[in-house]
Amino acid sequence: MINPDLLALLTTLKMAALTTIILLIIGTPLAWYLAKMRSRFKVIIEAIVALPLVLPPTVLGFYLLIAFSPQHLPGQLWQQATGQQLAFSFSAIVIGSVLYSMPFVVQPLQKAFEQLGEPLLEAGAMLGANAMDRFFNIVFPITKASFITAASLGFAHTVGEFGVILMIGGNIPGETRVLSIALFDHVEAFDYAKAHILAISLLAGSMVLLASIYLLNSPRKKAIKRIGK
Amino acid sequence: MTSLSLELDLSLSINIQLSFEGVSFDKFNLNIKQDLSLQGITGIFGHSGSGKSTLLRAIAGLEKEIDGTIVLNDTSLIDNKKKCFIKAEHRNIGLVFQDSRLFPHLNVLDNLKFAAKRCKNRRLNFNEIIELTELGSLLHKHVNDLSGGQKQRVALARAILAEPELLLLDEPLSALDRQAKTSLLKLVLKIQNELQLPMLYVSHSLDELQQVCDKLLVLSQGKVIGYDGIHPMIHQLNHTQDNIAQTNDFIHQQTSLSLPIKTLDNGHGLATLTLSEHDEIYLPVLDENSTEKTLRCFILASDISISLTEPINSSIVNHLFAKISTISTMKNKVLITALCKKDDGEQEFFINISAFSQQKLALKINQGVYLQFKASAVRTYLY
Repeated sequence: MINPDLLALLTTLKMAALTTIILLIIGTPLAWYLAKMRSRFKVIIEAIVALPLVLPPTVLGFYLLIAFSPQHLPGQLWQQATGQQLAFSFSAIVIGSVLYSMPFVVQPLQKAFEQLGEPLLEAGAMLGANAMDRFFNIVFPITKASFITAASLGFAHTVGEFGVILMIGGNIPGETRVLSIALFDHVEAFDYAKAHILAISLLAGSMVLLASIYLLNSPRKKAIKRIGK
Repeated sequence: MTSLSLELDLSLSINIQLSFEGVSFDKFNLNIKQDLSLQGITGIFGHSGSGKSTLLRAIAGLEKEIDGTIVLNDTSLIDNKKKCFIKAEHRNIGLVFQDSRLFPHLNVLDNLKFAAKRCKNRRLNFNEIIELTELGSLLHKHVNDLSGGQKQRVALARAILAEPELLLLDEPLSALDRQAKTSLLKLVLKIQNELQLPMLYVSHSLDELQQVCDKLLVLSQGKVIGYDGIHPMIHQLNHTQDNIAQTNDFIHQQTSLSLPIKTLDNGHGLATLTLSEHDEIYLPVLDENSTEKTLRCFILASDISISLTEPINSSIVNHLFAKISTISTMKNKVLITALCKKDDGEQEFFINISAFSQQKLALKINQGVYLQFKASAVRTYLY
């Protein structure tokens, strides 16, 4: 049988990877829409997106747990569609993570899109490039660093999640038992040696990931790349 | 390269209204109804806030909150009543922006390819355009390593490679120094000559427009105040007051001329233009390599003085006999128009003198006088 901590690592990576992909797919148009939005409702949407930054994860987890339960509509619909219960499933922790890590992906992208502004997009339009063409051939290559930052922050934050998962996922090995929960288990069982291994790997992993983002975005690196061309 | 010719005859019919509720300044209204025949280069002149750039953006399709119609060659670009709005990318109109707007993630070559790849006609030869715009040595440079003039040359080449029906230029020279301005103006003329591409050229600098435009559309406070050939239009503006600042003239009053070049260098540091069989106009030497037959130039009204007798004992080389046709006084300044004989009719000159001089000389309409101005008062951008 596979080592339970290794299984927790695999579950964590799977959850974080899936969450990051989903966040890039829905977060990009959302960030674009917010960057271009002039309506006064903009602040309300921005506040909703930013809520997970300030809200205790248990609050979000609590409401999600209620929503996901078979007694309520979202949970019922899910059960009818898939035949499985949503609460305490892998899908539930992915949905929870998507909501919880949303600001880490949307905010850097929105900022990049706002900074890019209209000028280069107008230039593209005047050369016959339509909206999709402009996005993939002007916006994306210029804001690539922000996409990498957004994806890395989203991924790292999802890996480090605890409260939401504990509320809606529980502790099912191979399904919802992620590293942070496994760590908590070891501490509860006074198995500090195993706890240390998990804690230090989470710490090191996050450190490496963040350092790579900052290295990628540092002006020195850009200058080196420029000269290299 | 004559095989490269694009569309020859184009017409643009504009009837638009646009209101902005500015944040910091008063409501801005643009209200323009004008038919333009687009041959050669049409200048759009106005002071800042006159709506000239907004008009250009409306034609380009970048201004969406517009009422009215814009028709280019029988194609409706905008027609509110029919809910028609052709997007900028489908209008086949090119635009060179004041700030170049080159794509920073691409080098010069890839910026040019961006346009060529999306062009549907492909009538122009990529390499010929690079040669025409003299970009051969810059192709592999990063756009941030280019000078302002080089950037605008790339922007111009990029716009042409999209093979637009109509090219719009929005203050293309305003960020450049004098030397770069001159070389880019020459390039604009060269492109116009070789490709016969109709252009609309927006600028707040009349000097620039005077050098390259065939016709001039003048806007003030969102309305058209004139549309005519370049020289007659400038001469009309000499009589126009500035509505905003009542005391100022709308432009620097001037005589705008196109004259045949007689000599590029007479050996004494001067070039000569032919005004008539008897009269020549002297100006500083022109570029020896020039193949132009005529020269566009202007003489500021404040640079010409009037003498009642022929000023033969003077270092001032230009003196022309002329008959006064109008005298108008505005505060302490007098604007005089005088006519000189030319082979094919008459040339109008504009002269500013002070009210004091007018009192002293007691000039009258139809009086014969001598106009005198230095060679250096004959101004041109292209040399």
